[in-house]
Amino acid sequence: MKKIRLIPRLDIKGENLIKGVQLEGLRIIGNPNEFARRYYENGADELIYMDTVASLYGRNNLKDLIKKAVKDVFIPITVGGGIRSIEDAFEILRSGADKIAINTAAVKNPLLIKDLVNKFGSQSIVISIEAKKISENSWEVYVEGGREKTGINVIDWVTKCTEARAGEILITSVDRDGTKEGFDIPLLKKVSEVSNIPIIASGGMGQLEDFTKVVKETDVDAISMATILHYNIKKIQDIREFALSKNINLREFYE
Amino acid sequence: MTIQKKNVLKLYNLPGKVVYCKKCCISNQRPRIGFDKDGVCSACNFANFKKKLNWSSREDELKRLCDKFRKSNGDYDILIPCSGGKDGSYVAHQMKFEYGMNPLTVTWSPLRYTDIGRKNLNAFIASGFNHVLGTPDPTVTKKLTELSFSHLGDPFQPFIYGQYNFPLSVAVQNEISLIMYGENGEVEYGGDMKNAFIPNRSVEDQVRHYFSGVSPKEWEKYGINEAKLKPFESPSIGKIKKNKTEIHFFSYYKYWDPQENFYYAQEKCGFYPNPERNEGTFSKYASLDDKFDGFHFYLAYIKFGIGRATSDSAHEIRDEKIDREEGIALIKKYDGEFPKKYYKEFLDYCSISDETFTQIINSWRSEHIWFQDDKKNWHLKNPIWK
Repeated sequence: MKKIRLIPRLDIKGENLIKGVQLEGLRIIGNPNEFARRYYENGADELIYMDTVASLYGRNNLKDLIKKAVKDVFIPITVGGGIRSIEDAFEILRSGADKIAINTAAVKNPLLIKDLVNKFGSQSIVISIEAKKISENSWEVYVEGGREKTGINVIDWVTKCTEARAGEILITSVDRDGTKEGFDIPLLKKVSEVSNIPIIASGGMGQLEDFTKVVKETDVDAISMATILHYNIKKIQDIREFALSKNINLREFYE
Repeated sequence: MTIQKKNVLKLYNLPGKVVYCKKCCISNQRPRIGFDKDGVCSACNFANFKKKLNWSSREDELKRLCDKFRKSNGDYDILIPCSGGKDGSYVAHQMKFEYGMNPLTVTWSPLRYTDIGRKNLNAFIASGFNHVLGTPDPTVTKKLTELSFSHLGDPFQPFIYGQYNFPLSVAVQNEISLIMYGENGEVEYGGDMKNAFIPNRSVEDQVRHYFSGVSPKEWEKYGINEAKLKPFESPSIGKIKKNKTEIHFFSYYKYWDPQENFYYAQEKCGFYPNPERNEGTFSKYASLDDKFDGFHFYLAYIKFGIGRATSDSAHEIRDEKIDREEGIALIKKYDGEFPKKYYKEFLDYCSISDETFTQIINSWRSEHIWFQDDKKNWHLKNPIWK
């Protein structure tokens, strides 16, 4: 039985940790590295740093933040936002990130995925997808922080990214992001069915039961969470204990 | 029909040279905004003032206001105009559940509802409110929209009439003396600092001053009869006064933060942002219930060089959600984007041609704001990013 990974997600704007609802109304929460350290100490398996507005502002400036973060956080870090080229990816990895995530740039130029995989290896390339429900069992790929439609069907896109040998797929439900209404189960079910690479579920976790539901009803490999942790609704320890009590396999954590 | 060039400078009493606020990104072309000697706009100065204000004493004033108007016989004691958007929903929910008032909420129908707008209104009502929707005869609204677009360069005039006058009518009909609006735009976004110290607006001001000088009655000369214009008009001043009507602003009593209103409305009233970015700006959570609101904002961009992204960025800078550099990037990216999504529908609605539309638009371009290049494309003379 696979071991589900717990991955706090830190959305970043400028120097701040931020959080929105449906990627809108971005509220400033605090210093991202303070949160990162706390999540690391509390037993997170990995972290995601995501500059959700990098494409919106046409910038790419997480390097300094990451350089500082890796001084006291010793778990794998995925960094995304504004990565448009091999050079950008190289810079981010060199600042200490273990994996890079791309969204807008991959949609604009799907060949970039293969280039990145050839250069850095599948294990370090995560495709980030903002999925917006358009009807029952149909989702569209959005970019620029849930602001722009692309006309691309999410399932087709997942298939393409899988064929391009991306290492993982981070799938964010725009509809559920920040709402605490639970994960978009049909979306995650479908995505994990069509793809054989690891899927990270993101968007909607508001209570412990949401975690067990998504793990039991879909075939995802990791759970990304933000609101529930940032606002201290639950701690990582709570999630870990609850999951173990429901016989869900996790990675071991030694305090 | 020949369309006459408008003298925008004179009509709106604008300064001849475009100057931007040093702190936010609004320009001096916003009607009624002031700039201080350091080049900072009155809205920024107000934003600064409100961050230092003792809000708990303002809240005490609100409680006293409620006590003064509260009824114990089951009758409505407060009227709240609310479209089901984040701001009105927040105010209504606070007045009912935080301050124990018995509100009647009212909406003046948009020209043409978006799906998300109607959904949000339904969700708002479902969160526990009595509600009245005012829908004037659509054939009349249509005609007024066309006329006001052609003559005033703003398709929203009939909507604005209703927004101000319908709550007054419903208040008089139901003998409700207190009307509570959200923010006072005449100090939050510009206007006179004296409004920072005044909780209300006189009913005379409300009735007379906010229709660009053109009241509903003025359209009679275009062949719309009295009966058709009635729903757009306010009750007589006599009736309004007899009802002891008072118009107050929630933003006087509690710190006004549109983004926080969004969180509140999302959690308590089932509000959701637009499924995609609103045209002409980056935001998804404001002014999203009317398919035609893009044209209202677009016309402001033409007349004043102030598009929707500029207005949105300006208040987000003041509210400390983004910095000025980010605001300028957003303006460069989105301001003045043409509202193409509902363009065809808008032309059909107004029964005007593409050509007429363009002529009307160009009749509102002032030389102190616009220039045309060799290929006849229009550009701002003095955009903020240059």
